Amino acid sequence: MRSWLPVLRERRRYIAFELDSEDVIQKGDLLGEMYSAQMSLLGDLGASENQLRLISFDGRFGLIRCSHERIEECRAVLATVSFVGSKRVAVRFRGVSGTIKAATEKYIPKSILQIDEDKKKVDLGPVSGSVARVRGREIDIYPDDQAITERSGTRYVGLTSFDLRGGDINADGTSDGL
Amino acid sequence: MSYYECNLHVLPEGSDSPSRLALVAKRLGYAGIIISNHSSSGPVIGTEGAKSVGGIEVAWGTELVAKNPQVLHQKVASMRGRVDFLAVHGGQDKINRAACEDPNVDLLVHPQKDGKKLGVAAAKAAKDNQVAIGLDLGPLIKFRGGSRIRWMNTIQKDLALIRKFDLGLMITTGAYSHLDLRSPRELAALANLLGLEGKVAKDALAFPGSILALNRKKWILPGVELL
Repeated sequence: MRSWLPVLRERRRYIAFELDSEDVIQKGDLLGEMYSAQMSLLGDLGASENQLRLISFDGRFGLIRCSHERIEECRAVLATVSFVGSKRVAVRFRGVSGTIKAATEKYIPKSILQIDEDKKKVDLGPVSGSVARVRGREIDIYPDDQAITERSGTRYVGLTSFDLRGGDINADGTSDGL
Repeated sequence: MSYYECNLHVLPEGSDSPSRLALVAKRLGYAGIIISNHSSSGPVIGTEGAKSVGGIEVAWGTELVAKNPQVLHQKVASMRGRVDFLAVHGGQDKINRAACEDPNVDLLVHPQKDGKKLGVAAAKAAKDNQVAIGLDLGPLIKFRGGSRIRWMNTIQKDLALIRKFDLGLMITTGAYSHLDLRSPRELAALANLLGLEGKVAKDALAFPGSILALNRKKWILPGVELL
């Protein structure tokens, strides 16, 4: 079949994102939440113009396709995704590109997530709990007293290695575990 | 432009330490964050750790909660010298008005809480006393359906007032956790849906930085700086 003329071809953008989540998120659940957020914010008309599709998602990094004129709208839609089921999440944009290949090569690294199996105990005085997982300098704590996460609706308490060790002269906070 | 997130809540009120919020905010592209727990909550946990995070400014403020205008004015007077940034927890007509009438207040956060509006009188007073209005986008992110429609309706009326009187505007998420934080570009995109053009939204995101710089100078009288 003959392909479209270049001027007639619809132009797309590929958005590479990272999902910040408290638990393992399935691709289908994320997709459902994305579409429901889009419908709720922009309605049928806006949704039809966005042409939002989830191309790939590996549990942490993913790729979304949208129309090249509607990136800001998609940014707003994905910013309103804060729950998938009962799990707290946040979608972080890493970059936007014109092809899948460029978006993958530039913005999607191989993911490493360290699940801490030892369940080390942490005690900061008023807050105590066991270590749930570690990513670079960021540490999630499962608190002994659940009341502390009531207002944020999260499961974990977010700390960093700075809180546990005190001063660290070489720390510039750039490490993100990649 | 250097963007600031001006209304964050940390342990024990939120669920994250100041250093965790600072790390995540830095990754999202902020130049600084202002930690402002409600004045009704206990002392902040992990202030030492926040000093070790490089590349981002962590400023300390507070969000005053008061029952009535008299208590508010007393609290403002006592806290002004102790923090770099002074916000007021809005949501009641009386408190909104009193906060706008106090020149020592930097920011009135979410005056639209519970369907309340800012009001013309309060907007005029805010203009005279240079009190900025905080647009808390938390409800836009978290709510769905009817409650969000009502919230957007109120916000659009207040934004018309803010435009009419040319009031200072700050955009925040009022985050209680790093998962509530959004990048400056995402906030600008959300604000754009509410009718704030790109330039206005960007100025609003950078505005807390200039207020912080002003507050850190030593003023002996209004308009007289100690060098």
